[in-house]
Parts: sequence; structure tokens; C-alpha cells
Amino acid sequence: MNIFIFGLVNSVILALMASGFALVYGVSRLANFAHGALYILAGFATWLFLNRLGINYIGSIFLSIIIVSIIGGAIYRFLLIRVKGMPASEIIASLAIGIAIMELFRWRGFISEAYMLPPFVAGSVSIAGVVIDWQRLIIIGVGLAMMLSLWLFTHHTKVGLSLRAIAQDKHASMMSGIEPDRTAVIALAMGSALAGVAAVVILPLGNITVETGYMVLIDAIAVCIIGGLGSWAGVLAGAFLLGFSRILTAAFIGPHWQMVVVLLFIILTLILKPSGLLGRQKELEERV
Amino acid sequence: MKNKSLVSNIGIRLLLMLIIVTFLCVLNPKLSVAQPIVLGVPISRGYPDGVDAERGITLAVEEINAKGGVNVAGTMRPLKLEISDTRDLEPVVPVAEALLAVERLIIEKKANFIVGGPIRSEGALAAMDVLSKHKTVSILSAGVLSPAYHKRIADNYDKYKYCFRTTGSVVPMIGGAIGTFESIKAKKGFDKAFIMVQDVAHARAAGNALKEGLEKKGWKIIGYEIYPTGTTDFSVGLSKAKNGMAQYLIPWFDMPEVSILMKQWYDMKVPSLPIGYIHALQDEGTWKATDGKVAYSVVLYAKAGSVATKAIPLSEKFVPAHKKRYGMEPRSEWTSTSYTVVYILKGAIERAKSLDPDLIIPALEKTDMMGTYGRVKFDPKSHQIIENGDPKETAVGTWAQWIDGKRVIVFPDKIATKSLALPPWMK
Repeated sequence: MNIFIFGLVNSVILALMASGFALVYGVSRLANFAHGALYILAGFATWLFLNRLGINYIGSIFLSIIIVSIIGGAIYRFLLIRVKGMPASEIIASLAIGIAIMELFRWRGFISEAYMLPPFVAGSVSIAGVVIDWQRLIIIGVGLAMMLSLWLFTHHTKVGLSLRAIAQDKHASMMSGIEPDRTAVIALAMGSALAGVAAVVILPLGNITVETGYMVLIDAIAVCIIGGLGSWAGVLAGAFLLGFSRILTAAFIGPHWQMVVVLLFIILTLILKPSGLLGRQKELEERV
Repeated sequence: MKNKSLVSNIGIRLLLMLIIVTFLCVLNPKLSVAQPIVLGVPISRGYPDGVDAERGITLAVEEINAKGGVNVAGTMRPLKLEISDTRDLEPVVPVAEALLAVERLIIEKKANFIVGGPIRSEGALAAMDVLSKHKTVSILSAGVLSPAYHKRIADNYDKYKYCFRTTGSVVPMIGGAIGTFESIKAKKGFDKAFIMVQDVAHARAAGNALKEGLEKKGWKIIGYEIYPTGTTDFSVGLSKAKNGMAQYLIPWFDMPEVSILMKQWYDMKVPSLPIGYIHALQDEGTWKATDGKVAYSVVLYAKAGSVATKAIPLSEKFVPAHKKRYGMEPRSEWTSTSYTVVYILKGAIERAKSLDPDLIIPALEKTDMMGTYGRVKFDPKSHQIIENGDPKETAVGTWAQWIDGKRVIVFPDKIATKSLALPPWMK
């Protein structure tokens, strides 16, 4: 039971971390390597609003998500748009922006181990004999709510439908009057907001460090490679596969083998199904 | 004509004044601008350990300069800091970066001495050859717990005699830790432990030594797990500790994510006392940041001094001085060691009456002074600081427990201010 509950939590955490990255790639075919930086930006911004400006916790969270979302959109509108269509340049540019954001925090002295966000609800609860803190249960709730909201958004709103249209067929959607750059800005802004949501619910479990940004990026890429870039179901499949394989490895082999297992999955996926478990990169099918 | 004589008049007066000033300076060294002694500080500035060490060194240098500087054979010379970022604590940064920083300090910045780091053992060990090549005396005061450092000095004294270390080595640390656990065993009857270590060289070495040492003493090791750096879930290990009825949880981590371990331990109410090298928990701000979930955790400081104790009078002066200067108490053990290292060097320079390494080395070997972590003496063969548990005799480490938002010293007995407390769910 312990493995099931904590495996579920870890899987949802991975899905939350990867969802923003997957959304951006699914819509704009852009691998946003600044994703991890936007994640910690949301964490540090929330901490600053809460502890330096004295804004209440909920206000700090909303404010930081909005700011990160605006920054994400601005990154595409003013920087990435200039290298659009050149995948290597897009990756290098977004990674450079990400490193600049993260190292800016290090340079400004955000390197203490005491940068932490409080849990939404303190305390813990026992489920079938397994004691688990409320924050982890909230993460499961937020993860499920976010997936449902995204599905509703992409299937029942005009903007969401335009995102799917671009993802399915760029040229056909342009003929229908959908502007791809505007859609990409929206996708970057939404992807960044998702990174922000993930940050504010996950970071109360530990502390905010610059290195977290790099690790979140690696986890997001791992989930997307295994699950399939551009596929929502793939993100979930990848997250659950990695989440449960990690906890099973920790329980039955040893925690230090967890990373080996992740890398093994990536290698096997790339050999056996390069587009990922549910990825359909080369097919004209639904990707969002 | 009148203008010309005015100019020459002023010129003669200026020349006279210059001669008088020069004359006075030659006669009275106190009036001259003495050449500073340059301390090169190679540290990882992007990490708390580096910043902590820099703060300790800076505070000591400011204090010394405020009192006139260092007396070198009758001349008061100020200390000048040249700090270089080694980035050696950053992942995937090659050792060469640290070596470059050390060499740059010596060649470009003309550092007379190197103090502080590099902080990672790998960087410090590689830097030994650079220090030897340039005949530059270095005293490590942050990180580097590898026993290989002083072994190299002892094995090849002539080559590595320029290297000294005040941080200690993991070997006496483990010896001290086992002694502490035995002391608790005698008082509380605990003999079951669960060891959790980070997947880095020093922590694995410590974990192996602890397991072996405790088993030899008749302890039952319920589990021994190694966690990759950056692990964010410890639930499996904690459940194993709980189910195995471990009375001790012995973490050995220097990664910040260890705060997740402590929060999970608290939330899961695991009936095992966390006691070990939990570096992230040394910080004064940890209690507030974790909403008190570090309560009852016992944290090892490789060297005392960053938590004030009456048993070491200098620590009682150092901690308030740090708080006044930086607005907070020292965050880690490396602040205390790095503060003291400047005074160690000052003492050696004043005794040697010179900056010549050939005179400084024997002077450092004869060091015998009180520091913020006890009495400072070096083993003359290995240049390793001597430590055994009595601050009046040698350097000491310390164990502090988080109680009611404060770090209180519970071990070693000679400097303890309170006795060990157990969490309510263990009673």
C-alpha cells in the first residue's frame, strides 16, 4: 500500500512537472529548455512575495503564476520567434535563457537551504495504515484537476481548439485564419503557467534551489521521451511508468539504482519506439 | 617674470614637502602605506558552503585590519582578500576550473597565501600540486573531509608541506560519531540503526565506516541505503526504518533535498531519532523554513563554533559578531573554521616575522592557540588538525539538536549545554 500511495504521488509529481513542457512542444514543436528555470522562477517569486512583500500565500501564488506566464509568452514573442524553424537554435536559445534565469538567482544569493514554501495544509493523515502528509494528497488533487481542466480547455474553448488545430496541421489551420505565432505565444504562456502551478504545489515538500530547475528539466524531458513528445496520454503514461519504477526500484533493489532505471527506460524507448510509448510525432494525428 | 618666480616658488615648496613626508615615512613605518598581505580565497561562491566560508574569512580580516593589520617584523600590514570562484561544488564542473582559480590567485593576484578552499575533496587534492609548484602555503578551512589529503602530505612531506587543513577528516569524525552513539546507547539502551547516505564519495565512505564500526560494537543495522543526489522521496526508506523498529535514523547528506527527508520523517512520525551529518539542517533559518519539522533532529558539525557555547569562549564572541555583521548566526561549520583560519595564519606570520614559506611552515606547525572550535594544533607530519573531544586540548566537532526553534549542543559532553531529548512519538 505504501508503494502504491507514494508511487501515485511521485507519478503525479512527474506528470505535473512535464505537462508544461509537453504542451509547448505539442503546439509549437518547440522544446522549451527554459522550462526548469520557469519552474524555480515561480518558486522564488512566490517566496519573495510571501516573505519580502508580505502578500498572503494565495495572492503570492497567483501573482507568481501570472508573472511566469507573462515571462514565458515574452520569451517566445521577443526571443525564440527569431530562431523559429531551426530546432537546434531553438534548443540552444531556450537553454541559454533558462541558464541565465537560474544563474541570475545564484548570482543574487538565492543559495541558502532555507528557501522553502509552507505546505497548503499542515499535518498528515493515515490511509490504510500509511501515514501521508496533506500536501502530497493536495498534489494528487491538483494534478487530476489540472489534467481535467486542460482536456476541457483544449476540447471546449475556441483558443484550446486553435491550439489543437495548429498541433494537428499547421498549414491547414493557417488557412482557417489561425495565426501560428500568436498560438505559440499562448502555448508558451500556458506551458509556463503550468510550470508555475507545478512549482507552487510541489516545492512545499522540500526547498527551492537553483539545481531544482535543472532536475525538473531533466525529469520533464525523460517523461516526454518515454511517454511520447506531444501526447497528453503519453505524458501520463511516461510519468506513471517512471514514478512507479522509481519507487519499486527504491523498495526492492536500492534507491541509488533509480537513476539507472530511468536511463534504461529512455534507452529502451529510443531503441524500440523512438517516438515514445504513445508519441505520434510523424503522423497527422491529434497531439494535444 | 613675476609669474615664473611664483611657479618656481610653489615647485620648491612642493618638493620640500615631498622630501619631509618621505623622510617621516622612512623613520616611522606606521605613517607609511604598508604593502598588504594578499590572501587568495578559492571557493565555490554559488553555494552556501562557499558563501559561509567567505563570510567567516571576511569577518576575521575586517577585525584584524580594524586593529591595524598583521605585525610582520615590526611593520603593521593589512590583509587584502582576493576571492575567486572555483565552482567546484557545482555539478559537472570539471576540477580544472578549481585549479585555474587557484593558479590565477597565485599568479595574477599575487596571493601570498591561499585560505578557504577548494571545497570538494577532488578539487583540493588536485590543487596540492599547484600549491607545491608555486611554493604557496595553503590552509583549507571548508569542506574536504577526505583522509587522502593528509595522507598525501605525510607520505610526501617535502613536496606537499605547503598544505594544511583545519576542517578535519571523515575518519576522526566517524570515530567521534560512533563514540556519541555508544554514549546514547549507554543512556537510552538504543542499539538499532537505519543508515541513509547520499551517493557521493564522502557520504558513502562515512556510511560504510559507520556500518562496520557499529556492527563491531554489537549494533543491529536495520538497513543501509544510498540515495542519489537530488532524491525527493524517502518514504520507502522511512517505512523500512519504521517497520524494522530502528531507534536511530542516521542520515549522511550534504544535499539541500535532505529537508524533504526530515519533513517526511516528521509527517510519518517515524519512531527513530534522526542523528547524523545533515548539512542543510545546520542553518539557523531551517526551523522557520520547515515549520519546526526539524524538531529533535541531531545535526553534526564537523567543527564547533558556529553555535555558541560557554565551553569555548571564542565561540561566544564570534557568533554575536557574525550576527552583527551579517544579520544572522553562522549557517554552517565552515564559517567558524574559516574565521579561525585567518587568525591561525596571522599568528604564524607574526611568529615567523616574515611571509617566506620556509619560515611560515614551521611556524604553522608550532601553532597552539584557542580558536572558535577549541584548541588549534597541527600534526607536524601530516598538517592535519588534531581533534579528540576536549576543546581545552584539541579541536572539537559538535552535535546540536533542534529544540523549540534553537540549536542546542547535546554532544560532546564537555561542551554540551543540554541533554538529548526524544520526540514524543518515541517515548
